[in-house]
Amino acid sequence: ISALLVVFATVCSCKTKQEILEDKVKQLTEWSNRRTVIQMNTNKFSTYVKTKPRNYSTIVMFTALDSKRGCSVCREANDEFTILANSYRFSPAYSNSLFFVMVDFDDGSEVFQSLGLNSAPAFMHFPAKGKRKGADTYDIQRLGFHADNLAKWMSERTEVVVRIFRPPNYTGTVVLVLLFSLAGGLLYVRRNSLEFFYNKTFWSIVSIFIVLAMTSGQMWNHIRGPPYYHRNPQNGAIHYIHGSSQGQLVAETHIIMLIHGAIVAGFIMLNEAHHPKADISKRRDSILYSSDQMFYSRYGLATPKEQIPYKLHFYGYWRTCLGCFLSQLTHVHFPTKVPRLSLQLPS
Amino acid sequence: RLFSVLRFESVIHEFDPYFNYRTTRFLAEKGFYDFHNWFDEMAWYPLGRIIGGTIYPGLMVTAAAFYNVLHYLNLTIDIRNMCVFLAPLFSSFTAIVTYHLTKELSNSGAGLVAAAFMAIVPGYISRSVAGSYDNEGIAIFCMLITYTLWIKSVKTGSIFWSVLCSLAYFYMVSSWGGYVFLINLIPIHVLACIVTGRFSHRIYVAYTTVYCVGTILSMQISFVGFQPVQTSEHMGALGVFGICQIVSFVAYLKSKLSAAHYAIFWQALYYLNLWVYNINVQYIFTISIAGKIAPWTGRFYSLLDPSYAKNNIPIIASVSEHQPTTWSSFYFDLQMLVFLFPENGISNFFCDLFQFQYFNHLKMFLTIPPYQVRLMLVLAPVMAVLAGIGVNHILTTFMKNLDTVVVKDKKGLESAISSFIFSTHTPMTNICINYPQISTGVVLLVSVLLSLFASHSVWVTSEAYSSPSIVLSARGGDGGRIIFDDFREAYYWLRQNTPENAKVMSWWDYGYQITAMANRTILVDNNTWNNTHISRVGQAMASTEDKAYEIMRELDVDYVLVIFGGLTGYSSDDINKFLWMVRIGGSTDRGAHIKESDYYTPTGEFRVDAEGSPVLQNCMMYKMCYYRFGQVYTEQSKPTGYDRVRNAEIGNKDFELDVLDEAYTTEHWIVRIYKVKDLDNRG
Repeated sequence: ISALLVVFATVCSCKTKQEILEDKVKQLTEWSNRRTVIQMNTNKFSTYVKTKPRNYSTIVMFTALDSKRGCSVCREANDEFTILANSYRFSPAYSNSLFFVMVDFDDGSEVFQSLGLNSAPAFMHFPAKGKRKGADTYDIQRLGFHADNLAKWMSERTEVVVRIFRPPNYTGTVVLVLLFSLAGGLLYVRRNSLEFFYNKTFWSIVSIFIVLAMTSGQMWNHIRGPPYYHRNPQNGAIHYIHGSSQGQLVAETHIIMLIHGAIVAGFIMLNEAHHPKADISKRRDSILYSSDQMFYSRYGLATPKEQIPYKLHFYGYWRTCLGCFLSQLTHVHFPTKVPRLSLQLPS
Repeated sequence: RLFSVLRFESVIHEFDPYFNYRTTRFLAEKGFYDFHNWFDEMAWYPLGRIIGGTIYPGLMVTAAAFYNVLHYLNLTIDIRNMCVFLAPLFSSFTAIVTYHLTKELSNSGAGLVAAAFMAIVPGYISRSVAGSYDNEGIAIFCMLITYTLWIKSVKTGSIFWSVLCSLAYFYMVSSWGGYVFLINLIPIHVLACIVTGRFSHRIYVAYTTVYCVGTILSMQISFVGFQPVQTSEHMGALGVFGICQIVSFVAYLKSKLSAAHYAIFWQALYYLNLWVYNINVQYIFTISIAGKIAPWTGRFYSLLDPSYAKNNIPIIASVSEHQPTTWSSFYFDLQMLVFLFPENGISNFFCDLFQFQYFNHLKMFLTIPPYQVRLMLVLAPVMAVLAGIGVNHILTTFMKNLDTVVVKDKKGLESAISSFIFSTHTPMTNICINYPQISTGVVLLVSVLLSLFASHSVWVTSEAYSSPSIVLSARGGDGGRIIFDDFREAYYWLRQNTPENAKVMSWWDYGYQITAMANRTILVDNNTWNNTHISRVGQAMASTEDKAYEIMRELDVDYVLVIFGGLTGYSSDDINKFLWMVRIGGSTDRGAHIKESDYYTPTGEFRVDAEGSPVLQNCMMYKMCYYRFGQVYTEQSKPTGYDRVRNAEIGNKDFELDVLDEAYTTEHWIVRIYKVKDLDNRG
């Protein structure tokens, strides 16, 4: 009887196990249909990812997306992870044996503790069978969080091969189309008098604008993509000017562009001021402008002591000098991006 | 430009100039034909390098010519001094040429101002200080003289000036790869003239001559060879050449035909054109498929699309010269010219139109996006010319009024100025002319700006561009200047104490210097043409001693040279470059066992202290740098073996070298040389 009971019990538990498993998979599939990356808190995580009976594996991203955590990398990593999850969702390899899960620190700090995680973002793989191995934790330090690398790691761990499909970026095309249609529209509207096309002032203004954009480092912004401004996480102070000489913030370049624009305008007016046709108010402006300009230039070479009251302008200009000094020192040769020479001597 | 000579001595700077110096010496001693056929077996052992066919010889030929002429006149100048002072000499020529160029574009006053700007603009000084013996030093001169002669030939339409222009172009081609700028800029100017209806016989004659003669001449440089007719960079010029012929042919027919006939002809031409276009497209398509026209090179792509390099070619992106430019480096290199040059665009509005003024604009347009640091060099002359024209315009207009009217009394002036500035309702006609003080103010202001510009340039030159990097200097505790001459000490030691056919292994940065100064054979140098060979050296540096010994035996290495900054705090030493050796070493098949991750701590850091990776602490580079370093005190209150660059106490202090003997270590330990032991006498 006891043997029967035992058999019965095991059958029973097996059944319930089976049922639990089915329930879990069903639930997870439902969630993942709603959003490819399933967001979980501590409870859900322990039931669906940690607790044993399961025939599916999960890829989990641990992250801290709340803006007050100030983790800008997490947002980028999240985008990449979503791309990976979406690519999986629409790939032929899709099945209900692999799920993508995300745990935010603010929802599941206990999970972070139990796994001994002290940095975010982190990616882990929880296999369906067996224990987790070292390689089940993705090495983000070395591999970065690019979706392609994630997919490679995933295929190593789960044998699910996914081709990353990125939603194409249409902004460039849209802007180009807009620009062309604007130009075309302008030409169409003005088709009867195309003289403006030969107008030198028009071209001058265009070229000056391009020059200003370039000299204020917009190309650098385009390539490096710095943030608009920088917020100090400790005291919340906002910096518009980059602390180091090798970088710049977008706000900073806009300020510089304005200053340069004003100075250039001053010079142009100075040039124009003496032209017989120019009216007198322009002349006055030009004189004012150019005196402005003199101040700027003076600051540019002011000694650090003098700089303090006019912090904004010269902080920029002065740092420029120092900064470029360093950057020029490193300008030659190869990867060695360390400063060429920073000697310290025995005292 | 002579700061570095005054402060240090007459030495060649950096790395590449050492190669140029060595080849110049060869040329001066052996003559041009030997130079042209020179196969250099001292570099890239055991491969060697064909020098004559892989360099732009303009620089060396120029220096050697000066040298020979001076010797003919019994002025026995040393070839090294010729090389050191060539760039400053040529920058003075550049100033003269700038004067003529600006004079052609505007007037002689503007020319004078522009020449003064050109003489001191830091963006140009950076490449023309004494000792900076590199192609750019003379290339800017060539570029400007080609511009000048081109404008001259467009103005006159004479074949004489056009041929002179193509000769200047030939000189430019022979001295710098940047000639591609010229061969694209001139056609674009011509094209702009055609589009705006300013095409004339003069331009036709000038361009046709310059293109034909210039192209044929440029093909005489063996490094350029058939590129002008085969690569995409040069195809624009060819296309414009064709368009020129068609346009002038049509104009010729128009002048010969009656209006009715011309209309018929025009229709025919329309269909003909379609047909020709079709053929052309097919032709270009076929030959590019067939590989006759080389595709654009990666560097050129990165000029057009700045993010190209970042995404596709890490080796180009990693070179710091190819970094994009921040606004601050614009200001640093051009200072006030940044504000001065755009105004020319407006001031031209008042001038009469001439064809060549378009050229000016174009030049501005084309050189505007120097989002790479090194292109600042090309931008600087343009800025100088444009700013020269602008400043000259301001000065001449306001100078005129300085003493036309004598002011009656002081009070009147003050009220006039205050009304000028603060009130709007006073009628203010001719205030500028009535009160020369305003003109005085403007002139004063401009002079203050100009003097600030001059002092900025001097300061920049002295602080940033005058360190030779082969001799290091630092401020000591008492504020005095301390000179570290370790590099030359080590190279001289090699020269004196090693057999003449010894092979020295070092990382490629120091290749040119070792061949030039120590006169010993090296494995790899700064002309990084063979990646697998560099990779082999990287593998030797990154392997354990026994593995490295195999590689060194295979490559016949006798001495190994490493740069170590841990004692002095010289931060661009080999340990800081080491990760690149690992990466490059691991990038080929034979180095597959070298994995970058092995050299990091488990948390992904690169550390030399006790927590660092054991693989790192047992590799050749680590051992060669830190051999015996564990017994040295470097800083007060720090333990022995404290590395002052990495700010850490080294992790592996007690070890002996099995396959190497320490041969020489310089005074400040910056250069350390090891001798590779022979095989054991096992019998």
